[in-house]
Amino acid sequence: MPLQYLQELRQAFNAKPSDLKKCTDLLLKLKLLLVEQNLLFPQENVPKDKLREAREVLEIGAFVSIRSRDLPAFDRYFAQLQTFYTDFVELERSEREYPIRGLNLIHLLTQNRIADFHITLESLDAEAILDNEYIKHPVNLERWLMEGSYSKVWNAREEAPAEEYKFFVNSLVGTIRNEIASCQETAYESLPLKDAATLLFFTNQSELLTFAQARAWEVNLSAGTIIFKRKDEEKMEIPKQRLISASLAYARELEQII
Amino acid sequence: MPDVEMKPAESKQVEEEKPQEERKPVPVHPLAEIKSNVALIDRAVTTLEPRFTHRVLRTLTALRKRIDASILRNAVESIYSKGWIPAASDSEDQSMDVDAPSKPSLTDVVPEVEMYLRLLILYQLLKDEDNHATALDLANETVKKMQDLNRRSMDAIAAKVWMAVDRAYSANDLLPEARPLFLAAQRTASLRNDDEANAVLLNCLLNNYLSFDQPFPAQQLVSKATFPPSASNGQLARYHFYLGRIRAIQLNYTDAHTNLQQAIRRAPPAKTAPGFYQAIHKFFVIVELLMGDIPDRSIFRHEVLKKPLNAYFETVKAVRSGSLARFEETFNKHIYQFKEDNVFKLVLRLRQNVIKTGLRRLSLSYSRISLKDICVKLNLDSEENAEYVVTKAIRDGVIEGKMVHEQGWMECGSQKNGYGPEVSEVFGRRIAFCLDLHNQSVKAMRYPLNAHRKELAAAEGAREREKELAKEIQDGDLDDEDLGPEF
Repeated sequence: MPLQYLQELRQAFNAKPSDLKKCTDLLLKLKLLLVEQNLLFPQENVPKDKLREAREVLEIGAFVSIRSRDLPAFDRYFAQLQTFYTDFVELERSEREYPIRGLNLIHLLTQNRIADFHITLESLDAEAILDNEYIKHPVNLERWLMEGSYSKVWNAREEAPAEEYKFFVNSLVGTIRNEIASCQETAYESLPLKDAATLLFFTNQSELLTFAQARAWEVNLSAGTIIFKRKDEEKMEIPKQRLISASLAYARELEQII
Repeated sequence: MPDVEMKPAESKQVEEEKPQEERKPVPVHPLAEIKSNVALIDRAVTTLEPRFTHRVLRTLTALRKRIDASILRNAVESIYSKGWIPAASDSEDQSMDVDAPSKPSLTDVVPEVEMYLRLLILYQLLKDEDNHATALDLANETVKKMQDLNRRSMDAIAAKVWMAVDRAYSANDLLPEARPLFLAAQRTASLRNDDEANAVLLNCLLNNYLSFDQPFPAQQLVSKATFPPSASNGQLARYHFYLGRIRAIQLNYTDAHTNLQQAIRRAPPAKTAPGFYQAIHKFFVIVELLMGDIPDRSIFRHEVLKKPLNAYFETVKAVRSGSLARFEETFNKHIYQFKEDNVFKLVLRLRQNVIKTGLRRLSLSYSRISLKDICVKLNLDSEENAEYVVTKAIRDGVIEGKMVHEQGWMECGSQKNGYGPEVSEVFGRRIAFCLDLHNQSVKAMRYPLNAHRKELAAAEGAREREKELAKEIQDGDLDDEDLGPEF
């Protein structure tokens, strides 16, 4: 692999702020080279330093894709990296491995893909979950989200262990706001505007009002309250279809037995 | 004939190794059993009746515990009257390059017998740690030979051989290397409708992935490969166990619960396979907790489960009490066991259940409770947080009630009564289970061949008699009494 490309990539990536455009161009060239040398999906018996270089390219690619907010590209990079992380045990661990895994976890979390989140988590060591700050962060977030400690999520949103984590903050805030709002709809009958704003982490009222409008809440401006429509006493529907099919099935089975 | 046959010189070795086993009344000497088994296999192959092979394999587990090197040597020597001396005989002469059985002098012995003996030797080698490497060599060679021979009459034995191969790889800590071999073999087995081997290989692969924390490929495998329905009960139990574990990782607790329950029901009796029984129960308890249920107390009183499940019992108690502090304490105390049992990450998820249980308990006992009290009782950090937790619980349907923000309290609603469509659903599920059980047992019944002919003949005779009767009635020379009481 022509080293100068990799070096250029490193330079462009480490520059502050990094030159995303140049990175993307270089990555394109480098990936073509990787394919030519059969390193993108490496088979066995590849020299270690080649593997290491290929891994570095992909890792930078993953970071660049996050910085340029190209999440599908991140998914692809991560899938390619996974071969390097799990199948080449002889290769020493990359220092970027855990940040990237953590980013992937957050990415799954913000998309509400909880099952995938847990499957990914399962392939990590127990020690990493407990001690590695890059992994601990998404794990804690997930736990708080699940138990409903939204204020903890809110407070932790800025404590990202790596720069890239902050790219997910916005979507994370959106996720928790929607969660809280749907909780409020069922749990409260009415709520003062001021309190609603604090609960939803809005700093001014106009933001709250647009949000309320989007969720079709009834706002009583003079009294300063939001009234949540009580869902009418749930109608008890008799599941006819299911009952009938069940009875028919019983009849058929009984017939067979006799 | 009780112990008379147990006396020959070679069995003294056994006596030294396992005295208590020797004392048990063992009806047949292992050597004799091997010989009769060989005869049975031979019969199975020549009459094309796999039933006999299955009968032989049923005794495999019991038999392999009783054999030792010298018995095996004697068996092999007497079966192959000349030539091949098995390497299992003594440790320094590990001439495992067993090429002798293919010599022309042995044409009268079917290859299935050779496979059976290889299987026994394999298990014998696996008993001793020093021989594990040799076992692996033998395993690889046996697999190659088995694939070269490619005989359908060998399928049943082949399945067992695969199991032993898996053991050989795991004894040598080489499980990841075995994956390509198993995957290829599984493909072949499923193409040839070789259900037994297919089932065994699928289970080996799932175990392989799960024990290396790779649920993703395991899940992919499960979604792509169908488990053969005619597989043996033991394999099915194992499959359900692995499936349950995968489902639990995917947060699909209801399915996981069903699978694990199936695994428990189909598992061999607790005393014969305590390890498996305990392993399933560990997962079962955790999954029940994750579903928000509290496992049966009787599980923890069970003789086999009492001690190994102690940590789990304490966890259950902590979850039931709804106290986070107590849960954390228990968790930290048993953290090593949880890691060992591969349930660590599942137990981590229990935290939220602890809070939910606590909340549910509160909502049952109070009609109105302030956020501050909830905080104190559940060990939550702040009232603000408690408010979110409570609203989420209400939305998720954990508790019935509403929040009154201005007063800072939660009003608890009335509980649902026990009637409704859900009840009929549960009832329906149980009925479905019973019906399925009935159908399965009907399917599992074996009928003697050609038995229906006899019935047919009987029916034919009856019809004949009826005709005669009718004729006689027509003729009018028959009294009512002659017809018997039925008429």
